[in-house]
Amino acid sequence: MRHSDAHLTEQDLLLAIDGELPLEETQHVRTHLEGCWTCRTKMREMEDTIADFIRARDETMPPFPAADGPRALLKARLRELARSEPSSAWERVRLGMLRRRVAAVALVAGLGALFVIGSLQTGEADHDGAAHRSHFANASVPDPQITPGAVLPVTKDDVCGTDVVEAVRVVPVDVARQVFAAYKIERPEPRAYEVDYLITPALGGSDSIRNFWPQPYRNTIWNAHIKDALEDHLRRMVCQGEIELAKAQQEIARDWIATYKKYFRTDAPLAEHATFLKDRPWE
Amino acid sequence: MVTDGASSSFAVAASTKAAQDAALEKDVVLLFDLWRAPLLGYISTLRLAIEDGEEVVQEVFLALFQHLRSGRSRENLRGWVFRVGHNLALKRRAALQRPFLQQPDGALDEVRDAAPNPEQMLAMKQRQARLLAVVSALPDQDRCCLHLRAEGFRYREIAEVLGISLGSVALSLGRSLERLRHADR
Repeated sequence: MRHSDAHLTEQDLLLAIDGELPLEETQHVRTHLEGCWTCRTKMREMEDTIADFIRARDETMPPFPAADGPRALLKARLRELARSEPSSAWERVRLGMLRRRVAAVALVAGLGALFVIGSLQTGEADHDGAAHRSHFANASVPDPQITPGAVLPVTKDDVCGTDVVEAVRVVPVDVARQVFAAYKIERPEPRAYEVDYLITPALGGSDSIRNFWPQPYRNTIWNAHIKDALEDHLRRMVCQGEIELAKAQQEIARDWIATYKKYFRTDAPLAEHATFLKDRPWE
Repeated sequence: MVTDGASSSFAVAASTKAAQDAALEKDVVLLFDLWRAPLLGYISTLRLAIEDGEEVVQEVFLALFQHLRSGRSRENLRGWVFRVGHNLALKRRAALQRPFLQQPDGALDEVRDAAPNPEQMLAMKQRQARLLAVVSALPDQDRCCLHLRAEGFRYREIAEVLGISLGSVALSLGRSLERLRHADR
């Protein structure tokens, strides 16, 4: 029971200021305020504090980038999304890829910044970082203990029914960090690696950490450019019925270099694949 | 060209769907123009960098498109957008394992001048700096309530955005305001 001569609590005053009191209580507060200088002063102080906070907040809000770029990006992504029907497992893969593309701009910038910060922090760091790399760091093949490969339950129709070849795949920065950490690469050189799917999503590969490894572009002739070319070739073969999807997944996971040699009928990478670039390098 | 009934209905359905998607895209872009800045502002109070905030905003409006496309409720979309933005921002912050984004040194000194008198100006700057320091030290939930209230959300909406009770919102705002009032002491 409220006594009309008792002062109002700050809670009541705030609720009254914010118009959150029930009608009956609002009337009581109003009546009390009319007769109480103390509560009126307290209420005015509270309103002044709110006003000061709002001013301070508005004046220190960081300037946001212009909306034009983000709006255009959103429109493009909405159109892409509209073309999809997120019902099957394969579509969820595509949505995942779309989300990664949404992340692309900031991630590239963020990773670049991380590298710069990392370089600044290390100061006299060795330029090639060789001392920090495991024996798999410059290898053409993943460590099967860390990256055995992982797939989604998709069918050939799922894989071939959707055009994903042109999709730019960007691995989230936290996943990339985990992959580099698993391979004991402490300061990865920008644009030297592709944090790649062992089994590409275009063949039903999943986003599991067990399906990623840092594939070098340099230091080996069996590099990320060559594997990208194989991935496209295998998908084409699967879709043309020349090879079973499961077989393509198994072969690329077991030994992608042997698979390349087998299907391109060569013992060395083809010259035309040396600059093949489907996926985005880690920056 | 002769078409059977099934394929012509399919064509009509497809073109209707395309038209619906186009109209929906227009709606979502309009809402993006309306709410991007306040949402980005709110997300920045969750201590995410602007570029991460832009990311989250994009994801929110893509999710909004999906939400509307699947025929779900259009009631209080602003609350929906902030709720999804809040959750995605926290998720992103956790994924990045980013420590608190500290306000850069001198940021509090950059409060813009609004008073002509140098003494008043200095006093006002100092007060604003103290207020912002208090806000920055508030627990996450209190800070979120305060910023959402500043965005014009009612208590019930704040409760929905943050997934807490109405009473918690009132207590949280009361607590924050008390700390702000005592910032000068």
